[in-house]
Amino acid sequence: MQPILQINTIQKFLPLGLIRYSKLCDTIHEYNHMKSFKSHTITIVGNMLLALVMAAGVTLILMPLSDYLGAQIVALVYILPVLLSVYFLGLFPAIVAAIASFLCLNYFFIPPTLSLLVHQAQDLLTLLVFLIVAVFTSQLIAKARQGMKLAKQREWEATSIYQLILSLSGANNLESIAHILAQHTFKTIPSLRVEILLQPNFETPAAVVENRKFRLPFEEKHLIKYPLLTSRSYKGEIKIWVDHPVVSGEEDRLLSMYANQGALALERIDFFAVETRAHILEETDQVKSTLLSSVSHELRSPLAVIKASVSSLRSGMIEWDSDAHLDLLSSIEEETDHLNFLVGNLLDMSRIEAGALTLHKKWNSLAEIANEALRRMQKLLEDFTVEINISMDLPLVFSDFVLLEQVFTNLISNSVKYAPSGTHIFLSATHEGDYIHTLVTNQGPGVPEEDLDRIFEKFHQVNKNDRIMSTGLGLSICKGVVSAHFGKIWAENRSDAFVFHFTLPTKSEDNRLPASEKVLNE
Amino acid sequence: MNKDPLILIIDDEPQILRALKTILTARHYQVELANTGEQGLALAATTSPNVIILDLSLPDMDGTQVCEQIRSWTQVPIIILSVRDGETDKVAALDKGADDFLTKPFGIDELMARIRVALRHSEKTIGNVTSVIHAGGLEIDLVHYRVMHGNEELHLTATEFKLLAYLASNADKVLTHKSILIHVWGNEDADHVEYLRVYIGGLRKKIETDINHPQIIRTEPGIGYRLVTSE
Repeated sequence: MQPILQINTIQKFLPLGLIRYSKLCDTIHEYNHMKSFKSHTITIVGNMLLALVMAAGVTLILMPLSDYLGAQIVALVYILPVLLSVYFLGLFPAIVAAIASFLCLNYFFIPPTLSLLVHQAQDLLTLLVFLIVAVFTSQLIAKARQGMKLAKQREWEATSIYQLILSLSGANNLESIAHILAQHTFKTIPSLRVEILLQPNFETPAAVVENRKFRLPFEEKHLIKYPLLTSRSYKGEIKIWVDHPVVSGEEDRLLSMYANQGALALERIDFFAVETRAHILEETDQVKSTLLSSVSHELRSPLAVIKASVSSLRSGMIEWDSDAHLDLLSSIEEETDHLNFLVGNLLDMSRIEAGALTLHKKWNSLAEIANEALRRMQKLLEDFTVEINISMDLPLVFSDFVLLEQVFTNLISNSVKYAPSGTHIFLSATHEGDYIHTLVTNQGPGVPEEDLDRIFEKFHQVNKNDRIMSTGLGLSICKGVVSAHFGKIWAENRSDAFVFHFTLPTKSEDNRLPASEKVLNE
Repeated sequence: MNKDPLILIIDDEPQILRALKTILTARHYQVELANTGEQGLALAATTSPNVIILDLSLPDMDGTQVCEQIRSWTQVPIIILSVRDGETDKVAALDKGADDFLTKPFGIDELMARIRVALRHSEKTIGNVTSVIHAGGLEIDLVHYRVMHGNEELHLTATEFKLLAYLASNADKVLTHKSILIHVWGNEDADHVEYLRVYIGGLRKKIETDINHPQIIRTEPGIGYRLVTSE
C-alpha cells in the first residue's frame, strides 16, 4: 500500500497562497482516482476469465451435437456467450468471448475439424460474418449499456446535488450549513466519519457525523479531504474517514461538487451579513432623520410655551398676584417637566438603539415601583381616577427600578394622552407561574387590530392627524426595557377599555430567587 | 450675632451658578461659587461653609473624589447634584460621605428642603440630639424603643424597629440601600436588597395610612430610602 499524502502539511503551505493549496488538492484527487483504477483492473481480468468459461461451456454443449448441426446454426449459438458477456461483464470480456468463440467454432465445427484450416468458401464466409456480428453487436450493446449506466449515474449525482442545494438554501448560519454538508456527505459515500472544519476555527470541527463503528485512532490513509474553496476565499474543508480508501471517479466528482456548493453557501452567509449590516445602517440613518424632525418639533412646543409665558411675565402687562400670573407660572413648570421627560425618553431610546442600555438589577417590589411612578405623576393624573391593585406580597422581580418605573410612567402617560379625562386608569398585577403579569388599563379608544403590534415600534403613532403629538418613543422604550428584563409586552383592545400587558420573570437570568433571610434574633 | 449660613456651590455650568446665587442670596444665604473641583476644595478649606452643593460632573475631577477629599477633614454636609440615570455615581458619592442628592432639573422647594435638613443635621452633630421624631402622625421614641400612632402603640419586631430607628435618626436624609443593610443586618448582608424590600413593605403596612401612597418612608429609586418628617 502506498502512503497517503500528508494532508496536514497543507496547512503549512496555506499562508503562501490558496493556489498552491488547490493544486495540492488536485494531486490528492488524482491519487484517490488511481486507487479506484487499480481495483477496476482486477474486476476486468476476472470478467474476461468468466467470458472464456462461457465460450468453453457452449463448446462443450455443442460438441456432442456437432453431427446434427450445420456450421451456420453453431455460429448462431456461439453469439450467445458474446451477448451474455457484453451484457453482464462489459465490452472487453465480450471481445475475449468473441475471439474465443471464433476460434472454437473454427477448430471444432468448421471442416476440417480439429484444425484452424478452412476449405470451403461458404464456411469462411460463415466465420467472417460470425466475427463481424459478434464484435459489432457486442460493441453496440456495450455502448447502450454504458449510456444507460452513465445516465443512471448522472441521475443519482443530479438528485444528490439537488437535495444538497435544496437543504443548503434553507440554511442561514454557518453551523447549519456545516451540519447539512456533513450529513449529505455521510449519506452519499460509505464513510465512517465526516467532519466539517470552518475557518478560522480549525481546532474544533463545525459539524461531525460518524458511524458507530468509528474508533480512534484511525489510519491517516483512510482520510480523504476536500477543500471548501470559492473563487474569493478558502472557507474550510470536508474530512472523510472511509473504510476502504477507495473512491470512484463519480464519487470524487460528486464530493468535489458538494465541497463547491458548501463553499458557495458559506460565502452567501458572508454576503448576507454584509447586506444586513448595510441595511441596518440605512435604517438607522432613516430613524435618525425621523427622530431629528420629530424631536425638534416636540421639544419646540414646550419651549414655545415657556418662552411666551416668561416674556409676558417680564413685560409687566400682567398684574402680580393675578390668577393669570399663577397660571403662566404653573404652565412654565409643567412644560419644563414635560421637556425633562422627553429628554429622558430620548436618552433611553438612544441607549436602547446603541445596545448600551446597562441595567442595574436588584430585587425590587413591583408595587413599590408602580407607587413611585404614580407619586411622580400626581400632577398629570389630577383629571383621572387612578386605581392600583398590585400586592406588596407579590414575588420580588430582579430588575432595574428606574427603568421599570419609566415603563409604568410611559404606559400611564400614554393612557393620559389618549383616554378622555375623567376616566379610570387601572394598574394591576398577578403572579402567574414564573412570571408576574402586569396590566395597565385605560378607557381610551382602541387601536386597529393590525396596529396592535406596531404601536411598540419607534415613531409609530396610530392617529397621525391627532392633535396629540408625541415622538412615538414611549412605547418602544417600554418594549426595549421589558425585553431587556426577558419579559414580553403587548396591547389588547377590550370592548370598554384598552389594555397594556407586560410580563416579568420572577427568577433572575441565572435562575436565582431572592435570598431568604437568615433567622434574625427577634 | 447669628450670621447667615454660607453655602459653597461647586458646579461648572455658569447658568446654574448664576441662578442658584440669585435664588439663595434672595433667601438670605451667603454664597461662594467654584467652577472646578480644585477651586471648590480650596474654597471649602478657606471659607468653612455650612453646606456644600457639589455637581458630580466636573471638568477637572471626579465628583466622588471631591466628596472623599472633603470628608477627610470635615463633616460639613454635602448635597450632590446629578442627572437622572446617574444612580451609580450618586450611590458611590453617598457611600463616600455625601449627605444627600438632588436630580437635575430640580425645583427650588426641593433644594431649600435639602439645605434645611443638611443644616439641621450639622447642628445635631455639634450638640443636641433629638430622641423623639415625628413623621406623618407617627411618634418614634428612640430612647424608649416605642412607636406611637396617635394614642396607640405599634408593635414592631426587633428588626423592624431597628430599621425604622435608623431611618428616623437620619430623618429627611437619604440613606443608601447599602448603608441601611450594613446598619441593620450587618456587613455580610450589604448586598441583600431583597431583605430591605420585604421589611420596608412590612413596616409600611404597619405605619402608613395608605400603603399605595407611602408618606413616611419614601422610596428613592435606585438609591435607597428616606424617612420624611412632618417638618
